[in-house]
Amino acid sequence: MTKHSPSTTTRFWVLRIVTVLIFVTLLAQLARLQFFQGAGYQQEAIVNRTRVVRVKAPRGVIYDRDGRILARNTAVYNIVLIPAELPDDPDYEISQQKRRALFQELYDIIHEKLAALPPPVVPTIEPPDRKNPKLVIEASQPPQPSVLTVDEMDALVLERELGSAFLPIVVASNLPREVAMAVVEETYRLPGVHLQLQPRREYPSGLLTSHIIGYMGPIPKEQEKEYAEKGYAPDAWVGWSDLEYQYEDVLHGKPGVRVIEVDVKGKEKRVIGEPTEPVSGKNLILSIDLELQKIMFDALIAGVNPKRSTSAVAVAVDPRTGYVLGMVSLPVYDINAFADGITEDEYNAIVNAPGLPLLDHAITGIYPPGSTFKLVTAAAGLEEQIISSKTILNAPGIIYLPNRNFPDDPDLAQPFVCWIYKSGGEHGDINVLEALAESCDIFFYKIGGGWPPGDFEGLGVEQLAEYARMFGYGELSGIDLPGENQGLVPDPKWKRIAKGERWVTGDTYNMAIGQGDVLATPLQVTMMTAAVANDGILYKPQVVAAITDAENHLVQFNRPVVRREIPVSTKNFEIVRQGMWMVVNWEYGTAPDAALPDIEVAGKTGTAEFFDPQLGRDLAGNLPTHAWFTAFAPYEDPEIALTVFVYNGGEGSMVAAPIATEILQKYFELKARDEATGAQSLLDQLEAIAP
Amino acid sequence: MNRQNWRQFDWLLFFAIVLVSIFGIVMINSAIKGDPELVDLPKRQAFYLGVGILLVFSVAAFNYRLLRTLSIPFYLSVLALLAMVGAAGQTIFGAQSWINFFGLFPIQPSELAKVALAMALGGYLADNLDHIGELRVVFFGVLISLPILALVALQPDLGTAIVLAVEAAFIFFVAGLPIRYMVAGFVLALLSAPLAWNMLAEHQRTRILIFIDPAANPDAYFNVKQALVGVGSGGLLGKGYGQGTQSQLHFLRVRHTDFIFSVVAEELGFIGATMLLFLLFFIIWRLWRIADRSEDPFGKLLVAGLTGVILFQTLVVVGMNMGLLPVTGLPLPFVSYGGNAMLSLMIFIGLAQSVAMRRS
Repeated sequence: MTKHSPSTTTRFWVLRIVTVLIFVTLLAQLARLQFFQGAGYQQEAIVNRTRVVRVKAPRGVIYDRDGRILARNTAVYNIVLIPAELPDDPDYEISQQKRRALFQELYDIIHEKLAALPPPVVPTIEPPDRKNPKLVIEASQPPQPSVLTVDEMDALVLERELGSAFLPIVVASNLPREVAMAVVEETYRLPGVHLQLQPRREYPSGLLTSHIIGYMGPIPKEQEKEYAEKGYAPDAWVGWSDLEYQYEDVLHGKPGVRVIEVDVKGKEKRVIGEPTEPVSGKNLILSIDLELQKIMFDALIAGVNPKRSTSAVAVAVDPRTGYVLGMVSLPVYDINAFADGITEDEYNAIVNAPGLPLLDHAITGIYPPGSTFKLVTAAAGLEEQIISSKTILNAPGIIYLPNRNFPDDPDLAQPFVCWIYKSGGEHGDINVLEALAESCDIFFYKIGGGWPPGDFEGLGVEQLAEYARMFGYGELSGIDLPGENQGLVPDPKWKRIAKGERWVTGDTYNMAIGQGDVLATPLQVTMMTAAVANDGILYKPQVVAAITDAENHLVQFNRPVVRREIPVSTKNFEIVRQGMWMVVNWEYGTAPDAALPDIEVAGKTGTAEFFDPQLGRDLAGNLPTHAWFTAFAPYEDPEIALTVFVYNGGEGSMVAAPIATEILQKYFELKARDEATGAQSLLDQLEAIAP
Repeated sequence: MNRQNWRQFDWLLFFAIVLVSIFGIVMINSAIKGDPELVDLPKRQAFYLGVGILLVFSVAAFNYRLLRTLSIPFYLSVLALLAMVGAAGQTIFGAQSWINFFGLFPIQPSELAKVALAMALGGYLADNLDHIGELRVVFFGVLISLPILALVALQPDLGTAIVLAVEAAFIFFVAGLPIRYMVAGFVLALLSAPLAWNMLAEHQRTRILIFIDPAANPDAYFNVKQALVGVGSGGLLGKGYGQGTQSQLHFLRVRHTDFIFSVVAEELGFIGATMLLFLLFFIIWRLWRIADRSEDPFGKLLVAGLTGVILFQTLVVVGMNMGLLPVTGLPLPFVSYGGNAMLSLMIFIGLAQSVAMRRS
């Protein structure tokens, strides 16, 4: 090799070029990471080091009008491990030995204490039984204590050590208080073991108020973004139904938020920005009286035959305000079943059970109102001067409505019968008071659709429908509960669109007695009765009467809201009320047994035929019927309007009226007791200080 | 011929090395902040730098040609040391690579192996340059390299073993080994890969597997991922000295050694990292210049081998910090914390200066 041999010099140039290429590659990668992917990595660095710590805000409490608790917050006891506080050793093997020994000891302690307790009861939610439906579905047992195995603890701790070693890991959940406390006593020798209280919603009135209070659950997938924008933690629970849903924004409050900077183990280094304190949710004071609610519940349970009726409703409102005093819908389920999270099987068992227990039939169920609708027909007929209180119409057991196109052909005439015709009777010559009291169908057919052979002109469908709407049928009542159904007031336009048929006088006949296509919720029927009782003011029904803050200072008082004043004269309302009085207090009325000894009750029965493909017709060809009774009391100066509805119950007078009577009797006993003690309800006190 | 000439001493190279080493100490100081166990590392690294500078001048003053006569005994003693490590070595991160020599100071025989290999292989090939194309020479050259390589690999220190292999390749290349032999060697190395795989320790296999499939081991992937986040989040100017969240909050592990480049890129940004890369590039460029300009074949091969080591380690470590190459556990030359690496690098530089001063 000579000095500067050409071949080595060439090779050194190769090496120089390789060197340049290597550095250019490194620089290019540096630029790629820092400039082109820089934003992503900067974001990752921020996610790495910042944690959002939320301090849960207590949810608002729900009280009845007397301050009885219907929904409150309690705690579930969990045992947690904080990985960063566990015993450690530079030698991985020794460290693992120490930790596994600790896990084993913790596991043994919990199991030992649990074993000393009485054996757990197996959950009791049964699959729906079509042959033996139940009107009351009790809650399943709250979730049983569960403890992770030593291996599971080990795996979770290893996983958490990267990045979140200071976040607690739940190793035992739903422990009874005494077990949790016994573990806490041992923590002095179990480093890293802590007690955690997990908030839990509890419903002391359980079954009684399930359709009013509702239940909660995790944030639904499709609403994750919406709730995140409102500041909810991803694992927060939200109201899923009824008041818990409707008043979510009021009840929820605002969690406290602290953004902290953490190191690789998740240990807090400093607070970033200004932390915010949690703001408690606000409390709801309902117009519901829990005692009345129980009376209504018990009366329904006692009066409804579950083998026949899959659902039943009782609704009571104050006709002077529209406040809902009580509202029971059967079948009922215990909302406490939902408080700890419910399994899919349990949920399906409830949701598909006969009678659809999850639905509040008082506001979501729509049924033909039957004869209770005659209050509307009567009021409309009087106000439109189709009749007066003295007008007498002839009411045989059956009439034949001549065919519109062939009025002289009796073979084409359509028969319309009165309920009394089945027993071979008739009402004869009758006025409006007697017609209401005896619930004469023929009388109201004629008022509604007229009687061409007698040259008697009726209201006609348009006017009848208009009055029905004024009484609140076919529209949402605006109650502060979700899922309300507006029902249906049929008219020619509707029939043309829905059925493609022309409206005929027979349709008006059916509508005039609350049959045919009229559909209403039990609440709508109740609000109608309340309007009759108070001379025509249709209120918006309200469940929440007041809202208070966490210290129970009044925040908002929900005054009565008038939806409209029905344009029917006081004199005509008096006639309708009188008819209702006679239903109960006249010997030929349909519900004479509904009379109370000291209080004058006025009411209206309803026996509404309905078609259900599963029920069909009976052997005599009759359709099954819903039992209705709607009433107000006292007759002078009414303070309660009540409706009882029993699905497939049969005769209103036989099934619904006794239940209503029981409720009214107990209600007035309760009132007498309260007047004797001079007790003032929480709601009265709040109303007194409300601006 | 044997005249020593301090005017030929490469002062630019020397200053570049002092500068990059001080840069390293400053970054180590930032990387170890808040860790009481590591608090005196910057001071210790400064001490090693001081000793290293003395080493550069003393080795430079020494005629490297005299060293050549010592290359065989030196090579044999390093082999003996490596064998001893197997018996008496201390385990650090799974590798038996340290030996506490008479209790005085710990030395890493594998660092000495880099010098020994360059001297022994360089010396042999320099004597047989005219026969470099002969299979006999190639075979004997490989025979010189293999024992030292195998002992290091068995420690097990796969990273250094690969460095030694690359060093040998650089020396063969500069010696003029025909390209066909280079290709054949490369193919042979590939074919023996399965055999090598079986010899690998568990953690080394894991490192390679993680590089191929990062999601396979989230625990180990964590380090590489955090280094990438550190580099990527640095931006143009960085987060400021001592302000890197990835390093200061310990998301980045072994910050002062394996991942020091990530600390630089995070805290000083593209500008700082580019400056560091430029200094390293400049050092390597000057070393190629010394090797190229030397008229003594042994000097050429010696410097080429040592420069190859510095270039390869820079590539591997910086590449690893940016997710281009697998994790090896090698130090970044002059910058990573480590007394042994620093001292042996300074011996390299002293040798290179010695070659530069005795060009003719």
